[in-house]
Amino acid sequence: MKNRICRKFLASALALTLVGSMLAGCGNKPAENVNNTESSTTEANTSTEEANTAQTDNASDKEEPAAPEADTSAEEVTLKIATWDATTIATTAPLIEAFEAAHPNIKVELIDIASADYTQKLTVMLNGGNDLDVVWIKDADTTPSIAARGQLEDLTPYIERDGIDLDAYNGVASRLNIGGKQVALPISTGFYLLYYNKDIFDEANVPYPSNDMTWAEFEELAAKVTSGEGNDKKYGALLHTWQACVQNWGVQDGEHTILDTDYTFFKPYYEMALRMQDAGTIMDFSTLKTGNIHYSSPFQQGQVAMMPMGTWFMATMISKINAGECSVNWGIATLPHADNLEAGYTVGSTTPLGINANSSNKEAAWEFIKFACGEEGAKIYSENGDIPAMKDDSILAVIAGLDGMPEGAAEALVTKNIALDRPLDEKSAEVNQMLGEEHSLIMIGELSIDDGLAEMAERSKEIQGK
Amino acid sequence: MQAKSKKQISLSRRNTLVGISFILPNFIGFFIFVLIPVIFSLALSVTEWDGFNAMKFVGFDNFVAIFKDRVFKGSIGKTAYFSIFTVFFSMCASLGLAVLLNQKLKGKAIFRCAIFFPYVASNVAVAVVWNFLFRDIGPINNFLRSIGIANPPGWTASTDWVIPALIIVNIWKNMGYFMIVYLAALQDIPSSLYEAAQIDGANSLQRFKSITLPMLTPSTFFVVMMLTINSFKVFDLVYLMTEGGPGTASTMMSQYIYNQAFISWSYGRSSAAAMVLFLIVAALTAFQFRMEKKWVSYM
Amino acid sequence: MKTKTLPYKTIMYVILALLTALTLMPLLWMLSASIKTDSEVFSLVFHWFPKNPQIKNYTKIWEKIPLARFVFNSVKLTVIITAIQVLTSSFAAYGFSKCKFKGRDMLFLLYVATIAIPWQVYMLPQYSMMNKLHLVDSHLGYILMQSFTAFGVFLMRQFFMSLPNELLEAGRIDGLSEYGNYFQIALPLAKPSIATLTIFSFVTIWNDYMGPMIYFNTTENKTIQLGIKMFIAQYSAEYGLVMAASVLSLIPVLIIFLAGQKFFVQGVASSGIKG
Repeated sequence: MKNRICRKFLASALALTLVGSMLAGCGNKPAENVNNTESSTTEANTSTEEANTAQTDNASDKEEPAAPEADTSAEEVTLKIATWDATTIATTAPLIEAFEAAHPNIKVELIDIASADYTQKLTVMLNGGNDLDVVWIKDADTTPSIAARGQLEDLTPYIERDGIDLDAYNGVASRLNIGGKQVALPISTGFYLLYYNKDIFDEANVPYPSNDMTWAEFEELAAKVTSGEGNDKKYGALLHTWQACVQNWGVQDGEHTILDTDYTFFKPYYEMALRMQDAGTIMDFSTLKTGNIHYSSPFQQGQVAMMPMGTWFMATMISKINAGECSVNWGIATLPHADNLEAGYTVGSTTPLGINANSSNKEAAWEFIKFACGEEGAKIYSENGDIPAMKDDSILAVIAGLDGMPEGAAEALVTKNIALDRPLDEKSAEVNQMLGEEHSLIMIGELSIDDGLAEMAERSKEIQGK
Repeated sequence: MQAKSKKQISLSRRNTLVGISFILPNFIGFFIFVLIPVIFSLALSVTEWDGFNAMKFVGFDNFVAIFKDRVFKGSIGKTAYFSIFTVFFSMCASLGLAVLLNQKLKGKAIFRCAIFFPYVASNVAVAVVWNFLFRDIGPINNFLRSIGIANPPGWTASTDWVIPALIIVNIWKNMGYFMIVYLAALQDIPSSLYEAAQIDGANSLQRFKSITLPMLTPSTFFVVMMLTINSFKVFDLVYLMTEGGPGTASTMMSQYIYNQAFISWSYGRSSAAAMVLFLIVAALTAFQFRMEKKWVSYM
Repeated sequence: MKTKTLPYKTIMYVILALLTALTLMPLLWMLSASIKTDSEVFSLVFHWFPKNPQIKNYTKIWEKIPLARFVFNSVKLTVIITAIQVLTSSFAAYGFSKCKFKGRDMLFLLYVATIAIPWQVYMLPQYSMMNKLHLVDSHLGYILMQSFTAFGVFLMRQFFMSLPNELLEAGRIDGLSEYGNYFQIALPLAKPSIATLTIFSFVTIWNDYMGPMIYFNTTENKTIQLGIKMFIAQYSAEYGLVMAASVLSLIPVLIIFLAGQKFFVQGVASSGIKG
């Protein structure tokens, strides 16, 4: 008996080592290619000097950027670009079309993925060694992780060669400079606004929300415009189920971030949200959550008077109204702010574009990024109601003047400071996941605010090893 | 080799060769496309890996890390809670339905189809529907209020009721399939056995206990095994219905494994958690196989 | 079991009708929601049948996604994979239950052990391998990946284990080889189990979402579940449309199940090893 078990064990151990050694080969291959990059990023953490030398080393290694452009324009190239919800996002199709028209030798093969699965699939593709060309990053805070794996090409040589002015990105581009490498360029930078339904305000005889409002005033206003019962109830506001729709107001000042380990700065906003929920001036969290109710639905059906939401929702509203599928008379105002802040302080997030280090068409991929993140792309974005990362007053004027945009949009779109909702850090995603878990517990009343915030702090420390 | 008796070798060899020839077509595919990736990913549990670059051997660090993580520790209990109830009630439900629908009744095919129907429905649709039914002002709670329960459970919006809610949906979804497994087995029971028992004067309960149940043991073995394994690694339905929430109230082991790999980008910890899940299920499986000889009667 | 009185039958029918109604309720709700407008779906007053049925919920899907292509892909993949799975698993299961050789049980345990591992765990190494073999974004890659599951082998082995050895012994005496025994004796008797495996594998592949999501990039390769999800993403706010899409995804499996109902459920009855 013992003998048999022994033999079985030996046999399985043998099989394991055999397979293991086979696979070790597999796993190591990509490592060899990127070993260089990996070591240079680790060094960057300890000493910037070393990082700089590593970077120049790297730059001199690469010959492609120096190659004359005439070479690349002659051959036919197919660019593989991954993106999400291409059919719903109003800017994607026109952007690709315009790019193909401007570069007849480059054909774009768009890989369209449902937004909920995008980050997961992108990771699998990159880690699996897929030869995707342009990396379109949906959650900007995943950029450092992707860069740390050495999957993003350093764009610095391309930027220097083509003389791209990074100042045009209002400070966002420098955030994508990780360990001395410009790993991506921002294509769009959305931020939070206050959307409102003019008809509900008119009916209640209450003046529209102003562009300079505190959160306390927002709460009061919501109470004033709440009316009705049951199916016909009009809610004063909608705070969507994302933790962002409460916690963002805590990081709006640009000083606190979700990577802090003391979350008492969320407290006033949780108190506000729960007060409003109890008073029935916002829709109930569990109803929204369990019903998987998308924020656009109650707003477009005229059930809510106000909704803090990102600028990306403008394009949706315009297209819905132009298609005759929604008849809400909407307006936008600057996001409400804390007492000690000026109007124009808001929260936002950026969408970066980078080149896959494993791409075989890096030159063409760069052409796409240059186009999409440059003036042409900015024009297309603004014409379709989205905010490009490269924005100035003329771009905002284009957006405000679009068919279907409400009056006074230009003033509402003015920003003083855009704080990133999630810092570009490798731990952001994990901390954010945790914050989301605790958020739902507070909002359904299973945890008191203080207990919830204390638990957040404790878990944040565990995750960040602080 | 040639020194040995030729006959003896050829016989045992032939047997082995025949056996292997049966297994080979499946095994080649299984080995390449399933086994290699599985072994590889389990081996990751003792490494630190970002999914792309070279792996670093870290010994048992990942195991230490996950056993310090409250979410992981909690997920083991939740998985066990979910599994015990799911296995027991699914088995009872599918066996009961199979016995009911094995009778000579007109139109039983329609009933069978109806019960089987949830099984073919896609999880995406099922999750949306049940989330809607479970809402506080949804049909289920409205019904409970109408029969006099003033404070019906919060279901998926409550940390106490979310797992019971998931158990209900899981049983509802899968009982039809295991019913079919049982039906197939029930119909294999020779009717002569029942006739003989009837002559001996056994009533229907006695017949059920002394003929049906023992004859069903191979199927029960299969059903219990599959239910155990499937409920321990339940993922899709939970992910689609609650994403492990509210809070981490329904974060079970496979969800944790997924989160570690795709939110925290820590394949090492993810694999370590998978290894723990694997060891639990393997232990249960080995236990059931050991018990197989005691209570399962193959003809 | 033989004599059944009228009251007994009535009680049975009532119980069955109740159980069936309970089971079908969520699905009927889905059907009802699929012909409603959004506000009707969320209305507090519930009607099974809306005053103004929105049949256009169904036609809209055809305009938005290449549904025919997706259905074709799904049918193709499902049929091929199911066929390979049933054939190779039953073959292997016979080897595991009726042929004696060294290391057999250990090999079988290896099979069963892999059932316990969630796909998410080995998805990444599997993808890397497939990518190196240039099998990503191709139907062939997906077929190879899904065809060889341990589950099928386990299910079929359970059946063959209960097959009396005497039957096979008799076959051997009649001069049948082991393969002859499999094809002429074991396989015909295994119909019920083959039916259960067929249903299982058919439903699993048909409803598989994560696999195609990870493996297919081009629209021509995508399956119905991806199409439905794509559609849901576009209209996440509109329950009626989402429900209509879900109902549509059910119809093909339902047709196949109803058509094969005799084989799946009743056919099971006639082929058992009686006596």
